[in-house]
Amino acid sequence: MLSIISLSLFGILNLFLGFLKSRRVLLPATLLFIALAFAANLLDWNHQYVYFRDMLRTNNLFINFSSIILLTTFLTVAISRSFGTDEEHTHPAEYYAIMLFSVVGALMMVGFENLIMLFIGLEILSVSLYVLTGSDKRSLRSNEAALKYFLMGSFATGIFLFGIALVYGATGSFNLSAIGSYVSGGPTTGISPLLYVGLLFILAGMLFKVSAAPFHFWTPDVYDGAPTLFTAFMSTVVKTAGFAALYRLLTVSFTGVYGLWWQVLTGVTVLTLLVGNITAVYQSSVKRMLAYSSVSHAGYLLIAVAAKTPQSPSAILFYSLAYSIATITGFAVLILVAEQKPIEGRPDERYEAFNGLAKRNPLLAFSLAVSMVSLAGIPLTAGFWGKFFVFSTAVDRGMTNMGMVLVVAVLMSVVGVYYYFRVIIASYLKTGDSEPIGIRPLYRFILVLTTALTIGLGLFPDVVRQLF
Amino acid sequence: MPYLSLLIILPLLAALLVVFLPNRNQTTFRWIALVASLLNFLLTLLLFFRFDKSVAGYQFVEQTDWITLSLGPLGVVSIDYFLGLDGISLPLVLLAGLVLAIGAISSFEIKQKQKAYFALYSLLSASLMGCFVALDLFLFFLFFEFMLLPMYFLIGLWGGERREYASIKFFVYTFLGSIFILLVMIGLYLSVADPVETAVAMGLVPGKELVDANVIADVQNYLQEGRIEADQIVHTFSIPYMAEPGNYLPQSLLNIAADHVLFGQSARMLAFVLVFLGFAVKLPVVPLHTWLPDAHVEAPTPVSVVLAGVLLKIGGYGFIRIAYGLFPDGAIVFAPWLGGLGVLSIVYGALNALAMNDLKRMIAYSSVSHMGFVLLGLASLTSEGVNGALFQMVSHGILSAMLFLIAGVLYTRTHDRQLDSYRGLAARMPGYVTLTAIAFFGSLGLPALSGFIGEFFTIMGAFNSPYLPNWMAPVATLGIVLAAGYFLWTLQRLFFGEFWSKHEAGLLTDVTPRERLMLVPLAALALMLGILPGILLNLTQSTVGEFLKNF
Repeated sequence: MLSIISLSLFGILNLFLGFLKSRRVLLPATLLFIALAFAANLLDWNHQYVYFRDMLRTNNLFINFSSIILLTTFLTVAISRSFGTDEEHTHPAEYYAIMLFSVVGALMMVGFENLIMLFIGLEILSVSLYVLTGSDKRSLRSNEAALKYFLMGSFATGIFLFGIALVYGATGSFNLSAIGSYVSGGPTTGISPLLYVGLLFILAGMLFKVSAAPFHFWTPDVYDGAPTLFTAFMSTVVKTAGFAALYRLLTVSFTGVYGLWWQVLTGVTVLTLLVGNITAVYQSSVKRMLAYSSVSHAGYLLIAVAAKTPQSPSAILFYSLAYSIATITGFAVLILVAEQKPIEGRPDERYEAFNGLAKRNPLLAFSLAVSMVSLAGIPLTAGFWGKFFVFSTAVDRGMTNMGMVLVVAVLMSVVGVYYYFRVIIASYLKTGDSEPIGIRPLYRFILVLTTALTIGLGLFPDVVRQLF
Repeated sequence: MPYLSLLIILPLLAALLVVFLPNRNQTTFRWIALVASLLNFLLTLLLFFRFDKSVAGYQFVEQTDWITLSLGPLGVVSIDYFLGLDGISLPLVLLAGLVLAIGAISSFEIKQKQKAYFALYSLLSASLMGCFVALDLFLFFLFFEFMLLPMYFLIGLWGGERREYASIKFFVYTFLGSIFILLVMIGLYLSVADPVETAVAMGLVPGKELVDANVIADVQNYLQEGRIEADQIVHTFSIPYMAEPGNYLPQSLLNIAADHVLFGQSARMLAFVLVFLGFAVKLPVVPLHTWLPDAHVEAPTPVSVVLAGVLLKIGGYGFIRIAYGLFPDGAIVFAPWLGGLGVLSIVYGALNALAMNDLKRMIAYSSVSHMGFVLLGLASLTSEGVNGALFQMVSHGILSAMLFLIAGVLYTRTHDRQLDSYRGLAARMPGYVTLTAIAFFGSLGLPALSGFIGEFFTIMGAFNSPYLPNWMAPVATLGIVLAAGYFLWTLQRLFFGEFWSKHEAGLLTDVTPRERLMLVPLAALALMLGILPGILLNLTQSTVGEFLKNF
């Protein structure tokens, strides 16, 4: 709770710091704010608190999820450089503040105890992201992406809100546990059909946010159009928060109708895995490939949600952590490489831009390779354990229920190897121009840190798992 | 003395040393890799002499806890750093030690990016060795999966023209196979309990070292009666524990007695098929073999040598240790299918080899054919067949390493491996002819050379087997006839007749001392094993005898 309050205050503080018009103050200040929020977050460890008449609840799971969100935000802010090219139109203070505010929304999504809180959290997060997507004001693609995201996002929110209303109509409550006791208690009149429709609408809204197929159509365009830094932010923070919220909602409130949403989710999972992975193969831009890869990882995460075993939360946690770290690394390298040789003023995000990266900057190439290997799920990296835990939950649920999903997931992780390795092939096996790429110390530090984390979690997954 | 850890650590240290040494002295890197692999080879020889042949169980065992994950209501998962050696793995460890040392000598011809090459080569050596000595399924999988990365880069960076295609094809094929194995691995660890650690978790004994056979029997009884709390059950990846039906949780997915059904099939049968497919890609079994010719043709000589000499054997080793060791019921049910696939590989590989004009591609297909004998021998489930399969693996490791070195000799001189570019080489390269003839005759199964023993025993096993139909052994012998056909025809086309070559005659010089240093010991070994097969069969037979009691 302290983290939510402090982040809101820090966001406002950040806006005032903007008067200094100095990036040299802003960046360290923002990093410090996030670090403080991270520390404040940890204070509540091993305590359970309920706030504002059952609106928010914090417990260890909340702290774990919000730690991942804060960590990814920290990493994203640390690799932020300039926003736009001309001084007149860049407002770093605003962007940092909006990022902090959106994290507030994400934290509320993790800790909600009431559907209204979930809605508010989701809106804070989404509205901030609409702005961030369009932050490259002069770029047509960025504008298009923001508008598209905004229109489709508000439509999804509308459906989501309608779902909440229907559930309220059926149960007479917004409270998660109250809905839960209605659903599993089995009211004398039977469960109202309104609840089923409402649940499906809520699911559609949530699945839109985590970009699961068939609600994923906005993802590639928005991820492609947004400035890469915010693409990294979106594809990690939103996903972690979205899955935390989805899992919490489905397990606390709707366990009683598992038979219904399990079927929906397995269908969506299979579709997401197929669409995400197969489409990623055909991309010629690394940024779009990473966008579709984020769709496919939503599919893997959905497996753990659909399995709904006691191990699911920790599997989701570990997977989100591994995925976020690797994705941030991937995007961080992409930012640097793409800026090297812009085509017609736009960053060059094609695979060809990575040619000969191993020669141009070995550190970049190595951390990129590690992150891709981790995303592909190869042992000794964090991504492998993520897949391992997720598949374990599915096997544990039973092969009769999850067998089909597992088969698809297995085949698709092989497809994944193909497109992730294209980047490695380009940077190690192909020859390109030999202009070296220079990086700043902080950037270098972040890359070393994320690479070390990916390998460290791959070697000793139990260190982190003991926390959950 | 932790001999087995040393086998893994030595090449790892070499890799680290190569990475951290400055770039100035490129030539030191190959010496580091060579010294490490030679030391490793000496270590395997030491193991050979210290190994107690009469004991069927694991020797030189090392075990320490590595990862312990508490899964709450699902119990505890324990992953151990668990190494051991028995009569099945020792011959393969010896083979790996030898071939990796030969490969390191052969790597001296690599002139570009030496630092990266020798670091990757040493890393590959470590993970290959690790595969053969790991007794924890998870550890095995780790090595199994990890070796893909160095191999991928070794083919992709130092390979021929189509190296990118070949390397990614290699990677994707084997990765698909290993994901199948991963699935079964998850099913196994959810099904199997570690009786020793469970006893400690239950509080029956204060410490692991106090657990004796009685306690284990007690725990297994409690387990079968369902009297252990779920959160006290310690799940394990240990292969020896997985091989004992008593350690399976009642009603768990892969328990024999529970007989779960998935997609209309028995869960255990399905698991056997998945593991089989996973290793079949590596062996390789037709029709999953198509990555092999591509990988071999594009790979540089030393990498081909290691690929054919050691990597393929992991497929065969995986069959014995994991597919057969953990699912003996599946092995019996599917024996005719496996034997049939073996025969198919033998004949199809041989027919393809007959049609090839590229020397390396011809050898690659002959590998497919020869590894088919391994599958046939294993499928027979007879003592002759399984011992023969192990023998055939070692013999093929030696001979195929030789064959690829021979192809390399020609390639380094002219960068051309097409058979129709040469005629009558015998006149200009007498030493080369002799060594080639030994390798070819050994491979086609001439008595007194090692290939004969392996093929003879596997076919004999197939004849005697109660599980295989009678037609299989005679059809498999067809493979030997075809092998004689393609090897002799190649010999004739390359070496006999008037000397003629597309290339300058001056390029075609006889084998250099370095090449002789690699080829002569291999030839001597092929001859030695052909005359005294007992050296190897004595190592394997007691373990194999114990192994066959499961069937």
